[in-house]
Amino acid sequence: MHDLTDNALMLKVKKGDLDKLGLLYERHKKKLFGFFYNLGNNPSLSEDLVQNVFMRMLQYRSSFSGDGTFGAWMFRMARNVNYDHHKKASKNELSSSSSKIEIRDPMGDELNEGIEAEGNKALLKRAMAKLPEEKRQLLVLTKYKGLKFSELAEIMGCSEGAAKVRVHRALKELRSIFLELEIG
Amino acid sequence: MNKETFEIKAMDYLAGEMKQADREMFDKLLEENPEYKKAYEELEAFWSSMQSMDAPEPLNGMDDVFFNMLDKELAKSEKKVSKKVFDGWRGWFRPQLALGTFLLVLGLGLGYFLAPNEEIPSSKNTVAEKETEEVRQKLVLTLLEQPSANQRLQGVGEANKIENVDEIVIRALLKTLNSDANVNVRLAAVESLTNYVDNPLVRQGLIQAIPNQESPIMQITLANLMVALQEKASIEPFKQLLKKQELDTTVKRKIKNSIESII
Repeated sequence: MHDLTDNALMLKVKKGDLDKLGLLYERHKKKLFGFFYNLGNNPSLSEDLVQNVFMRMLQYRSSFSGDGTFGAWMFRMARNVNYDHHKKASKNELSSSSSKIEIRDPMGDELNEGIEAEGNKALLKRAMAKLPEEKRQLLVLTKYKGLKFSELAEIMGCSEGAAKVRVHRALKELRSIFLELEIG
Repeated sequence: MNKETFEIKAMDYLAGEMKQADREMFDKLLEENPEYKKAYEELEAFWSSMQSMDAPEPLNGMDDVFFNMLDKELAKSEKKVSKKVFDGWRGWFRPQLALGTFLLVLGLGLGYFLAPNEEIPSSKNTVAEKETEEVRQKLVLTLLEQPSANQRLQGVGEANKIENVDEIVIRALLKTLNSDANVNVRLAAVESLTNYVDNPLVRQGLIQAIPNQESPIMQITLANLMVALQEKASIEPFKQLLKKQELDTTVKRKIKNSIESII
């Protein structure tokens, strides 16, 4: 059983048993896809970014020490992939149209659906889009990906207490943006 | 409680990472501080509303792309391994191979010129083998003369080990066949002589031995052998044997059948 933990599998990949990455992919592809999607990337781009994360895992497999959790290592890599993509895309001035189409467009959906719940959902997406990148990542990782604060601290490179404070403040900021959008 | 501590505890409470005792203390804190309570309730409501955000399922195409990428990486790593092995050999070959080849050629050359002019081992072996054969033939002749039947049987056995028997040994075996007192020795002699049936002397000797046999088992063995050889010259000696009144009826029948088979 111990051989099948995420950490054990990644250590095997590190030693050259690349096949085991397939198993890790099956376990984490949805989580990663959701992470990128909830950060505001469209589904197609989210899929591409998932691929990029696994390619990086292969490329930098020697950097996996097995000391921390595999999840933290994976999301740290996912954050970097997301950052690199948007940095590159903003240079090409394609970023906003390609990556945030799902976030800026939902007003159209909202009007058509006319349901309050769906309206709130769309509003929340817009509020998320307005939140600074790091705060958005903090909320996605804690709320949607169910990571513990200890793991979040590992990903963000801070103490557990600091991670809790940062999430709390991000949540408050998101609420303020949401209320502004609701009024406006 | 300062602001930061409250924020930490509030997040623990919201995320369900707080122990029961701490939860009770936090509940008490909220009851005693309406400001904290308001702030927490707003946060909790918004935290719950965030549940509505979800993500669609990734498309199956994503799996295809991933596994194609993984296959390519696997193929690449296999190539790298084989290249490493090849490089390893090549690296090992360069100086060592040149030096090794030089030393080998040098050694062969020195060996060729410095070797003493002795007979080559194969001819030595042939001589040794010849000597062994001669000793063995002498041993056969000696053993066949022994009074003990066991030793004479041993002598026949030794005769079977000789590749090229000479006439003396054949005559000794034929003599054993015709005159040995022990039937087992005589039987062994027949078996040994069957190895040299191509030799006319052996054939002739076997035919001549037919009328001399008194043991039924010897008579039947020779009859079978003559049938196998289809030796027509054996018919006359068998007819002579049939004239003997004391001949066993089974042997008689066998010899008659054999004569018919040979004819």
